[in-house]
Amino acid sequence: MGIITILWEKWREFIRDFSRITLAAMIAPLMYLVVFGWGIRTTMNGQPYLYFLIPGVVSLTTMNGSFNAIAQNLNVQRLYEKAFDQVIISPTPLWQFIAGQIIAGGLRGLYAGGIILRLVLPIEPGLTFNLLSVLILFLNGTVFASIGIVVSFLAKNHADVPRFSNYFIMPMAYLCNTFFSTDNIPRGVREVIAALPLSQTSRMVRSISTGEPAGLQGIVILLVYLTVFTTVGLYFVYKKKNL
Amino acid sequence: MIELDNLTKTFEGFTAVDSLKLRIETGEFFGLLGPNGAGKTTTIGMLSTLLLPTSGEIRIDGELLTRKRQDIKRKVSVITQEYSMRQDMDMDEIMEYQGRLYFMPVKQIRARTEELFEFAGLTDHRRKTVRKLSGGMKRKLMVCRALLTGPRILLLDEPTAGMDAISRRQMWNLLRQLNEQGLTILLTTHYIEEAQSLCSRVALMNGGRLNEIDTPAHLIRKLGAYAVDEMHTDGIHTRYFHERSQAIDYLSQVQGQVSLRDTTLEDVFVEQIGKRLS
Repeated sequence: MGIITILWEKWREFIRDFSRITLAAMIAPLMYLVVFGWGIRTTMNGQPYLYFLIPGVVSLTTMNGSFNAIAQNLNVQRLYEKAFDQVIISPTPLWQFIAGQIIAGGLRGLYAGGIILRLVLPIEPGLTFNLLSVLILFLNGTVFASIGIVVSFLAKNHADVPRFSNYFIMPMAYLCNTFFSTDNIPRGVREVIAALPLSQTSRMVRSISTGEPAGLQGIVILLVYLTVFTTVGLYFVYKKKNL
Repeated sequence: MIELDNLTKTFEGFTAVDSLKLRIETGEFFGLLGPNGAGKTTTIGMLSTLLLPTSGEIRIDGELLTRKRQDIKRKVSVITQEYSMRQDMDMDEIMEYQGRLYFMPVKQIRARTEELFEFAGLTDHRRKTVRKLSGGMKRKLMVCRALLTGPRILLLDEPTAGMDAISRRQMWNLLRQLNEQGLTILLTTHYIEEAQSLCSRVALMNGGRLNEIDTPAHLIRKLGAYAVDEMHTDGIHTRYFHERSQAIDYLSQVQGQVSLRDTTLEDVFVEQIGKRLS
């Protein structure tokens, strides 16, 4: 029931800011695709580079869509609007609030990724995106929504969330198997990057798109991230003495 | 009934609330008075579970209050000192969100919202987003939101801060009515006349500790029900008398600008806490 309340709240927010959310989700990924895909036309392993690029860009779009939908919003509600206080005061179980935020974040990421797919698939029909791709993209979104929750609780002021984005989310967007294969990265660093959630998502979605086995151990890795960050989020809402 | 047992809250070594012991009976209108930094808002924060105590306990109707206690939280509504609302929601959305957080059916939320908006004179403004509301309207909306869920305990942290005199009087009347209907109210306020007018008992708080708990009338009687103000070059000096005749006798002996008046709760507050602060 509390989950439905949070989904209702996020839905109202989505309806209210529909055009802003949609445009924000489209601009950066389309630029990547235009510049790196259609502008600098090249190939990778004998295939058009776009075949490599599109799954990566869709994955990073779900990451950004989910993280931004939760982290900044929750941070503003907690530090500036104080609207989060009413959630704490209310009888809605706080785990349901966290679950609602994570699901809503996952859906917002899926919406952002879906827009890009809707735009590029008619142009590049050779790629396959199926139900499993959707599930992986949603899972990726929930992981970054849960990270967004933790970041919003750790933030001490309004600038902290964009700062975290600059230090962690943006590097991940570029390095995690999105624009180039991590195979060429030196050992040690390569393993670290490969273990990051976006690397796993990009790899699995790309494999599915070209008809190769997805290697579903990536789902387990995503679930581990989701569990860890959800647990930290729950710790904050139940145990932290001064929220 | 609200019971605070040795309630203590520290922030990085600073003790904001120190071993608070307090019992507020069901149906009581209780005021918590104190200067800035006395620990009033921190106490409300712990009662609303926004802050967790460093030590001590809070019991509502005999049950231990924690963030997990849905059944207890359902009984309590809070009007916080700051406007704690989403700025991008309109009034209807604010009410519906609150009702949903308290598991109210949507039909009931809408019907009750109509009543409350009508009562508070907000009906014509219901489509406005919170960021477009005046301070007074935001306060009224917070009151409507707090009453929507039919609480049994109302925690009010400076509820009339920023309100004009007329709105404040309207709010006082509303709070009196609610208390007469059996609602237990805990009020913190800077407006001492507000506490004197509304509260059946008040606690004077300073430095995180309770100085005294009593009825406003008894606190005033203890100080002296009559006050004589003498104008001096360094300010007003006030003397208190238990009997009117004593005050008049004194008045007749003093030269210069003097006046006789009834002692107020503010005098008690200034005598007990103001002098200690200065």
